[in-house]
Amino acid sequence: MRLQRLWLTDFRNFASAELELDEGLTVVIGRNGQGKTNLLEAVAYLAELGSFRGVSTDDLVRAGMPSAVVRAEGERDGRSLLVEAEINRVGRNRVMVNRQRLQRSRDLLGAMRVSVFAPDDLAVVKGGPGLRRDYLDATLVSARPRLDELRLALEKILRQRNALLRQSGGRLSDDVAVTLDVWDARLAETGEKLAAARAALVERLAPAVAAAYERLAEVPSEVSVRYEPWWRQEGLAAALVVGRDEDLRRGVTGVGPHRDDLELAIGGMPARSQASQGEQRTLALALRLAAHEVVTDEAGSAPVLLLDDVFSELDPARQAALVRWLPEGQTLLTTAGDLPAGIAPGRVLTVEAGTLRPGGPGGGDGVDGGAEPADADGGP
Amino acid sequence: MSPYAGPVQDLIDELGRLPGIGPKSAQRIAFHLLKLPTPDAQRLATAITEAKARVAFCQRCFNVCEGELCDICADPRRDGNLLCVVEEARDLVAVEKTGEFKGRYHVLQGAISPIEGIGPEQLRIKELLVRLDPEGVQEVIVCTNPNIEGEATAMYLARLLDPLGCRVTRLASGLPVGGDLEYADELTLGRAIEGRRTLDAS
Repeated sequence: MRLQRLWLTDFRNFASAELELDEGLTVVIGRNGQGKTNLLEAVAYLAELGSFRGVSTDDLVRAGMPSAVVRAEGERDGRSLLVEAEINRVGRNRVMVNRQRLQRSRDLLGAMRVSVFAPDDLAVVKGGPGLRRDYLDATLVSARPRLDELRLALEKILRQRNALLRQSGGRLSDDVAVTLDVWDARLAETGEKLAAARAALVERLAPAVAAAYERLAEVPSEVSVRYEPWWRQEGLAAALVVGRDEDLRRGVTGVGPHRDDLELAIGGMPARSQASQGEQRTLALALRLAAHEVVTDEAGSAPVLLLDDVFSELDPARQAALVRWLPEGQTLLTTAGDLPAGIAPGRVLTVEAGTLRPGGPGGGDGVDGGAEPADADGGP
Repeated sequence: MSPYAGPVQDLIDELGRLPGIGPKSAQRIAFHLLKLPTPDAQRLATAITEAKARVAFCQRCFNVCEGELCDICADPRRDGNLLCVVEEARDLVAVEKTGEFKGRYHVLQGAISPIEGIGPEQLRIKELLVRLDPEGVQEVIVCTNPNIEGEATAMYLARLLDPLGCRVTRLASGLPVGGDLEYADELTLGRAIEGRRTLDAS
């Protein structure tokens, strides 16, 4: 999938904008608050029908306007693809692919794919297990859209089982026991499937993360990524039986894929608590690049890689390493300041207060002359 | 404070309690009813009262009926060996429309869903169990919906009925007849692959 052209109308701070994207690297330069991230958010919206910043769609519409439109023209498998989304403050949002209205948002899955790296990704390394599960499941669904069904089924079963646990008042009457058996069986079946899919993914992800980390850090590093829930030894059905008394007392399900963690370690030490800030940032980026690689491999074509303010996260050596090892395929990258040496974007855009213009910032405001990117460098 | 005068608000509130009707629809229907000529409105009111007064649930299968037994339970030509278990009376109508099923039915009046406070006790499951022996049921076909709650109910019934020596079968999930494979959603197609059959070559 390659994006060629993007139109925004009343999206965030863009009243109206049109931009062309390079088939390789496009760099968007702008000071903070000018709308760089909004551009990436618009592209990601077309793929995911939601904001990667986790805000409601209301926030995506320009102040005082009833609706926003994001439209992208591109190419997939040699065919042209037009994806259009209308985001309404009131009423339903609408999505059209090649002028055909989608009946279900599920139908969009896979029409356009993106991999997003944003500064918030640091939380995947530093934050709680829930964020790592989200990272894992999002990668899973991106690689194999059908698995979203499994994730949703698990959520529903858990809600039902937890409701039953709470109603029992902590006591296992015969009635509750028989019904609980049924929910346990459903949970075990769905949970085992999801965990098996996650484990298979991690098997491919782990070497890719380690390799990406080493490329960025430029020193041999021992990065390990492991998904080994203890319950997979004995099986979820058995683990639920063991945990049943505790579950009844607490009114929630204490074991299952919804409680698992993806263990990240550098040099044998947990990355969350023992790694330096620089190592954590590098690992966060390595996780995203590895996911991008695995999804590319699985889906047969590269998602559009969106890197938001990625250089501010890295020291100059790692910035240069990222530039050197940027994955093939289409990349849209934003930066507030200097471009690292050696970067050769096919296209450079400057964003200022919601307007776009081609080329680097003219006045040298915030970007000094030495790093001024030249359009001529990167081809047409 | 309600924005409308007493009786109007009462009507909106009552309509809003119906399934699938939100506050806005309730308001729209209420004002539509108010505009109706009086005889038309009367006819609707009478239809509701009459239905409530005359229609009850079949004492055997809990289908809707007038009188003690529904037409199907009262029909001696029906095959008593086969019992089809459905969630709602409208599911029974759907199965009945196929013309394929000649047995009798049992309406559970719901599916197990702890979130909605529905457990096996709230369903007509005890009433199902007492029917098996006297009616000589050989096979129970579980026709609950293929969603989380329907599947859980099916599994519950299977576990309950299996020790009683009754054959329990589940409705197959798969492709709609006359449709095209390319239009089938992946989940349905996946299920259909799981539930494939050997072709009879003779």
